[in-house]
Amino acid sequence: MSSKPHSSNNIAHARRTVQQLRIEASIERIKVSKASADIMNYCTEHARNDPLLMGIPASDNPFKDKKPCTIL
Amino acid sequence: MCDQTFVAATFGPCDNCTTASPLMNIYIKNEAINYCSFCVEVMACQGLQKGESLANLKRECESLKKKLEEERGKLNDVELHQVAEKVEVVGALSIKTRRVLKGHGNKVLCMDWCKDKRRLVSSSQDGKVIVWDGFTLNKEHGMTMPTTWVMACAYAPSGCAVACGGLDNKCSVIPLSLDSNENLAAKKKTVAMHTNYISGCTFTNSDMQLLSSSGDGTCALWDVESGQLLQSFHGHTADVLSLDLAPSETGNTFVSGGCDKKANVWDMRSGQNIQSFECHESDINCVKYYPSGDAFASASDDATCRFFDLRADREVAVFQKDSIIFGASTVDFSLSGRLLFAGYNDYTMNVWDVLKGNRVSILFGHENRISRVRVSPDGTALCSASWDNTLRIWA
Repeated sequence: MSSKPHSSNNIAHARRTVQQLRIEASIERIKVSKASADIMNYCTEHARNDPLLMGIPASDNPFKDKKPCTIL
Repeated sequence: MCDQTFVAATFGPCDNCTTASPLMNIYIKNEAINYCSFCVEVMACQGLQKGESLANLKRECESLKKKLEEERGKLNDVELHQVAEKVEVVGALSIKTRRVLKGHGNKVLCMDWCKDKRRLVSSSQDGKVIVWDGFTLNKEHGMTMPTTWVMACAYAPSGCAVACGGLDNKCSVIPLSLDSNENLAAKKKTVAMHTNYISGCTFTNSDMQLLSSSGDGTCALWDVESGQLLQSFHGHTADVLSLDLAPSETGNTFVSGGCDKKANVWDMRSGQNIQSFECHESDINCVKYYPSGDAFASASDDATCRFFDLRADREVAVFQKDSIIFGASTVDFSLSGRLLFAGYNDYTMNVWDVLKGNRVSILFGHENRISRVRVSPDGTALCSASWDNTLRIWA
């Protein structure tokens, strides 16, 4: 019978899946409202330091071309 | 003269080995088990626990999955964008192409920034790996790998080495030397060895350990110096296409996404799969942690990007539009996590507001699909790599 290793694999595989699901089902979860509030707080706290979000002046950004300076 | 007869009430596929044969109809704890005679013997030898059988296990599987759904559903009291209603809308973004890096002769498949915020490494389909200075467009190092399709490249935290891998099934670490005459490719050291292509690689917090993901369905943690396998991560049932390490403050975990539509979160020390998310409808091409480490985003061939919260253990936002029909290949967050930059196969990049769930901007410029998007370590710029043989730096 060509399926000899296959038969024991099925049971082993199902056992592993059940064990994995048991672990996943037992983890601690928090409410989405609390998790979302935390994410929102993180965003607003760090927003002012985010160059792509706020835009920083060309003089501070090494990639932006600086305006030519005139010597008075 | 004896006729040999045997009782075979049914003939059909065995429940265990699925080959068609005469089945022995036996009952274990009032439950019909239709195994062929060989499997009945194997079962007896395996010493199954009382009442355990494939059907039992399958049923427990289904009930656990349902329980998982229920538990997750119970905590879904509000949507992320509802919580974020009071937050100010993102202002108009003035992000434009500031640099175009030309030099690759073929599709650029991957790129990574150096911690010094100006250098970057990129790899392409023809086997070339180039280290650029982003400010001056100077090519600092160029190496040719003995393989095509170098799909993964990463800069070491110290800035002294790069790692790359692809169709050769290996991930190699190349120390970068200041001497421009040295043949860098000769000094490369093979660290990771998989049985299929390398889809992603990243150094952990030091130059000493390398994490790799592969088309063979596994991820692995390697010691760079000895090339030894420190830990392997099994659980995906198809190619793993991407991985990302949790930001250092939050500990030893990483997330991986693959062709089995699942995104898995792993504990690096034990190799255990801690959490699993199956919400996408097609291959997950890229996964990236949110800057705080409590969430991650994924990009998929189903044309959506999704946002998963790890503490709530569920998907909390989907970034999609009816007009977007091409798969998303890559995602990255801005420094604060408010913006999500996603590269698509329709040659554009969409910028999403993570909190409100809407698209803020579209970035045009590339002439072929975008393979990788990465925000620089200090958040001042964004680099995109594309199949049009160029990289663009946006700021």
